[in-house]
Amino acid sequence: MDDKRRRFEAMAMPHLDAVTNLARWLTRGSAEADDIVQDAMLRAFRSFDGFRGEAVRPWLLAIVRNCHRTVLEQKKRHAAAPLDDDEKMEVAADGPTPEANVIQTDDGRRLDNAIAALPEELREVLILRELEEMSYRDIAAATGTPIGTVMSRLSRGRALLRAELTGGRV
Amino acid sequence: MNCDQSLQTQAYLDGELGAADALKTEEHVENCAECQALAADHADLKAAMAGAQYYRAPAALRAKINDALDAETKVIPLKPRNKGSFWLGAGSGAGGMAIAASLAFLLLAPANTMVSDLGDAHVRSLMGEHLIDVASSDHHTVKPWFAGHADVSPPAEDFKADGFTLVGGRIDYVHGARAAVVVYRHGAHIINLFTWADHNVRLPGTGSRDGYRMIFWKQKDLELAAVSDVDPAELDRFVDLVKKSQSRE
Repeated sequence: MDDKRRRFEAMAMPHLDAVTNLARWLTRGSAEADDIVQDAMLRAFRSFDGFRGEAVRPWLLAIVRNCHRTVLEQKKRHAAAPLDDDEKMEVAADGPTPEANVIQTDDGRRLDNAIAALPEELREVLILRELEEMSYRDIAAATGTPIGTVMSRLSRGRALLRAELTGGRV
Repeated sequence: MNCDQSLQTQAYLDGELGAADALKTEEHVENCAECQALAADHADLKAAMAGAQYYRAPAALRAKINDALDAETKVIPLKPRNKGSFWLGAGSGAGGMAIAASLAFLLLAPANTMVSDLGDAHVRSLMGEHLIDVASSDHHTVKPWFAGHADVSPPAEDFKADGFTLVGGRIDYVHGARAAVVVYRHGAHIINLFTWADHNVRLPGTGSRDGYRMIFWKQKDLELAAVSDVDPAELDRFVDLVKKSQSRE
């Protein structure tokens, strides 16, 4: 194993789960996420020589997002079928009643579906914050957005998810 | 949310605040019913999210990636091969001439729009609208930036010693697809080096538009074009430097 490969093994490969998790959530659990992961890791390896300093995980996650976007763009160019990336979710107009205001997640799949139904830009920050426990700064780096935007997306994502889980809409 | 402190409270709940700010926010929350509700919701949601699916990398995927990395490190060095040479060869015979002529007919249209696309993109960049997304003369900064933003990994070496200074990179659109652009400065002139994935179209070789000259070539699954108003001989010299750096990679 050459030096570059060893460094990649030590610095990047430990984040493979994080990379896979984000890819799966971006594709809403689709198996094509695996291709995105592989593409991303190869791409990361190819530009790893140039990688210096900063945190590896946000860098890798930025690559995954980019690979995912590339796949979407390719699909858009090739396929006749329209893509459902215009994913707007409506919150129930009348707010949840106090009785219903407790999150019931005995059914894990209901939670997963609710997360998957979130618009992509809200879903990704929520995943990175709650499942990867990343700092605002790292999330900002991974998503290429200012910290203020990360904060407002987190807030909107949480409110939307909460409304979805307590409002009875599935 | 009506409280203008709600994002600050959220940051506090996420453990993002330093001691002084945390104290201030704690005081605020004590007196703000809305932020108290936010804190309760935050804890509630956090608990719920613990039950969310976490997708770990399956062993098969891990193995596949390791194989791919193995293949990547054991690359047999190939002589840089100019894909265009096939067409030159085909064009040398009489029959080849006919083939080349019909191909030219088929491929001329994309080549023309390519020239105008690149010319437009170059002019746009000079008008200060959008020259650089990542400003750096360090290719250790520019190159990894592209990994997160482009479909291709463009050559991004600094040729300062040869008079071509790396100033940064950006993403642009050429022919309806994303292109990675590495920006160089030569004296008072800007050179835009466009790189995109090989679309298997015949490239024009050279082109010019609005006084800007372009040189096209293919190398290692990439299509590249250098666009500038520098002296033609200098642009040739620049392209040679890029080609050499690219074949070293």
